[in-house]
Amino acid sequence: MTRLDLTRFPWARFLLRSRWPQFLLRAIALAGFVFTILAGLMGSAVGSHNFAIIFVWIAWWSALKLIFIPFGGRSWCSICPIPMPGEWLQRGGILEPHGKGVGLAKRWPRFLRGNWLQAGGFLLIGLMGAVTLTSAKVTAIVLLLILLLAFGLSLLFERRSFCNNLCPIGGFTGLYAQAGPVEVRVKDPDVCANHAEKTCYTNCPWGQYPLALKSSANCGLCMECLRVCPQDNIAVNLRPWGSDLQPGSRHSLGEAFLALVMLASALVDSAVFLGPWGQLKMAAYQIGSLPWFLFAASFLSFAIFILPGFYAGAVWLAARISPSKETFKQRLAAQSQVLVPLGLMAWIAFTISFAFVKFPYVLPIISDPLGWGWNWLNLSASASVGQTTTFGLLLQLVILIIGLTWSARVARQLASSLRQAAPLIFFALIFTISMLWLLIG
Amino acid sequence: MGFALLALLILFLPLPTFAPPPIERHIRVEASMFQFTPGEVTVNPGDKVTIELVSTDVVHGFSLDGYDFNITSDPGQTAVGTFVANKPGVFRFRCSAACGNLHPFMVGKLHVGPDLLLIRAILLGVVSILIGIGLLRPSSSPSVHSGGVV
Amino acid sequence: MRKELFARSLVIFFLLLAVAIPLGGWWISKAASANTLELHARMPENGGWNIDTIQAQVGKPLHLHITSDDVVHGFSIGKSDQPTLEIQPGEYVDTTLTFDRPGKYTFYCDRWCGPNHWRMRGTIEVTGTGQPIPPDPQPLFLKLALDLDAAHDATILPSQLPSANAAGAFTSQIPADLATRTTYLTNSPQSMWKQLRAASALKSQSDADLWNTVAWIWHSQTTSEKITQGQKLYTTNCAACHGETGKGDGVMVRGLPAMTHGTMGHSLVRPPDFTDPTHLLGASPALLQGKIIRGGMGTGMPYWGPIFTENQMDALVSYLYTFALKDSSAAP
Repeated sequence: MTRLDLTRFPWARFLLRSRWPQFLLRAIALAGFVFTILAGLMGSAVGSHNFAIIFVWIAWWSALKLIFIPFGGRSWCSICPIPMPGEWLQRGGILEPHGKGVGLAKRWPRFLRGNWLQAGGFLLIGLMGAVTLTSAKVTAIVLLLILLLAFGLSLLFERRSFCNNLCPIGGFTGLYAQAGPVEVRVKDPDVCANHAEKTCYTNCPWGQYPLALKSSANCGLCMECLRVCPQDNIAVNLRPWGSDLQPGSRHSLGEAFLALVMLASALVDSAVFLGPWGQLKMAAYQIGSLPWFLFAASFLSFAIFILPGFYAGAVWLAARISPSKETFKQRLAAQSQVLVPLGLMAWIAFTISFAFVKFPYVLPIISDPLGWGWNWLNLSASASVGQTTTFGLLLQLVILIIGLTWSARVARQLASSLRQAAPLIFFALIFTISMLWLLIG
Repeated sequence: MGFALLALLILFLPLPTFAPPPIERHIRVEASMFQFTPGEVTVNPGDKVTIELVSTDVVHGFSLDGYDFNITSDPGQTAVGTFVANKPGVFRFRCSAACGNLHPFMVGKLHVGPDLLLIRAILLGVVSILIGIGLLRPSSSPSVHSGGVV
Repeated sequence: MRKELFARSLVIFFLLLAVAIPLGGWWISKAASANTLELHARMPENGGWNIDTIQAQVGKPLHLHITSDDVVHGFSIGKSDQPTLEIQPGEYVDTTLTFDRPGKYTFYCDRWCGPNHWRMRGTIEVTGTGQPIPPDPQPLFLKLALDLDAAHDATILPSQLPSANAAGAFTSQIPADLATRTTYLTNSPQSMWKQLRAASALKSQSDADLWNTVAWIWHSQTTSEKITQGQKLYTTNCAACHGETGKGDGVMVRGLPAMTHGTMGHSLVRPPDFTDPTHLLGASPALLQGKIIRGGMGTGMPYWGPIFTENQMDALVSYLYTFALKDSSAAP
């Protein structure tokens, strides 16, 4: 497969190797994060006039899905401020590791490994979504809790245990980074084989060993390995989209579950936020009320049983059509790759549908981030109602169709015959039709 | 190239549609936090649609995507507005008077004629699956190709 | 190590900036608006106005910085011609009020914001020297000791909607003592009709013509401007419960039981149907005024005494009668 190693360009190599650009971005992001929390707590109670709502849920959440992941895989993780205070303590230095850091550096418990907790966290956010998404205070509290949780865990556990095992956004980003066009890999495996020290592994905050990297799911693109490799044997490659999705790549059952939770969430969020069903919105909003419990029960059973049930049914059918040595569990894990492009594109389409309408809010909020009636940049004007355009609808349509084509392609590549791929392709088709109906129908 | 052409054809090829003669419609839409009732309204292309907006709790608005149509209603003050549904398709209408936390998501749908775009999209989806699995070669002349793929 | 120190100070600098912007901004705007009162409007379910009582002084401008935390509200001063302000969620409206008479004023929300909207009222206590606000003259219903809660259904009803226009020919024959302001205020249309029926000068007139004459008397006590003004007041303040067509079917009273005089005082009920003549033809302007001023009746009707001026009340009452007495000047 064709790869373009960015470290071959001196300027790119400088930007990636030097600690300063990344450090600056992280420091600014951390300050922005703190500012967002303060804005959420102190600023206007009206979401459209609070920096916390507009920047987290419209600007950042859209940028993550429209730019960071599709064009940079886990690139957001490389500048994410959430784990930074803890990591700086762990490493004993802000700019670079220095001496013995602070923290117990325990191993993350084995039974809590994988994507299960991330999927659970994502579901939890989904259950509270209608409130988190619209209340600046709740947004601020959630951000603060995540910041504190990441910090606390970094003192207890080694490296980025939080990012690897708990962070719901990490799960989301990691899953779809497999389809992203960026990867960190070794240039020449032989060089590593002859290098006994493994400086890259000991310095990797993510606990990865670059030589063994087959998937970009768990690599946070932090560039530490690039900086510490004595042989300059690390490449940062631009690669074709979807390179991690192919026969023989390793995937776990937890990842399959995560992918299904993401699909279910995309459907439920589209129905709740973009659908014409007011009672559903109220049910999702009134946390603790009876309708909410019904909503939560339906959401959870859809995400945990129904959609996974359909998926398992499709995989089972495929296994019936052409049996192989693989166990059913292995098949469930391996076939989940089909869900990656499907989910990524569904989330992009959802974002276009959701955020394009709300972008007019972004500029005025810079002028008056706390909603206190300021007007720094002379931009404060009431944002217009906003509307979807024909262009926006067509864009969503095209994105969803690309997702379908792409996942059909992956399904075909994974299967030994067209007949074997058919059940999963059918699953993808039904999912896409549902998304189309919710977003453009 | 061929596929792009085919896709454009599927999406935009004008189809003769059966359009019943336009009529005048009065539609009473009730707005409450955070829903429109009815949430979905269906009219035929060319219909002259009069919307009566009745707010039942706080001030709400009714702004229709794609049409320059926006009315606001206070409880006790029904707002009335008329437009000609001259663009076919599905359009969202949304509340245009801030009415609380879920206000940005207070939406309904107006169907003007059958939802051709959705049907075209599904058709395109099926065709694109054939491309995805290699049964249809995205070459200048779409032809069915069986066997060895990728 | 110097690099590390520099990095650390950068982090601290950025963090300080992040904290300084909201805290400093808050402090600066606090200082710049020391004389300004920040007033937050919220639905009554969310707490109503954040300040219930505002203190002010005669002749000293009162600066208000008003915003809404949830939905569209309004800001108005009761019994005044101060223009009403629209309060949009998250946006600020500034206004300056100056009072030249000490006393208590009512500020209130005048945009319906839920069934409890009318509870969004607060007081401005103005102290200082000067002529106090002149007290309202004793309302007529108190002078007449009317029982506002008693049933007052009309028993004699016209066969069709009485019309002031149709009465033209007989108006000169109305006994002078019946066509006065006082008789209008204190009589229900029904009792006026009875008195007309008893007048010897009108003996030859049909019952329907006498009803038209009643309509004419009611019409003569108002103007089309007043009716328009009354209609405006009705639309903004009353229609949400009493219905836009007066049928008592407004959006706020849906699902409530119909009113009967037996249930009064027990629970929220739907208001009566004004287009059913039994109700209005049995009520005198003084009685209607009393109901509006005092409200209550145990029905959920708010009290409007502190809100409407006497003129507004008069306009509103004369508009109400247009539901039962046709009047050429009434808006359709």
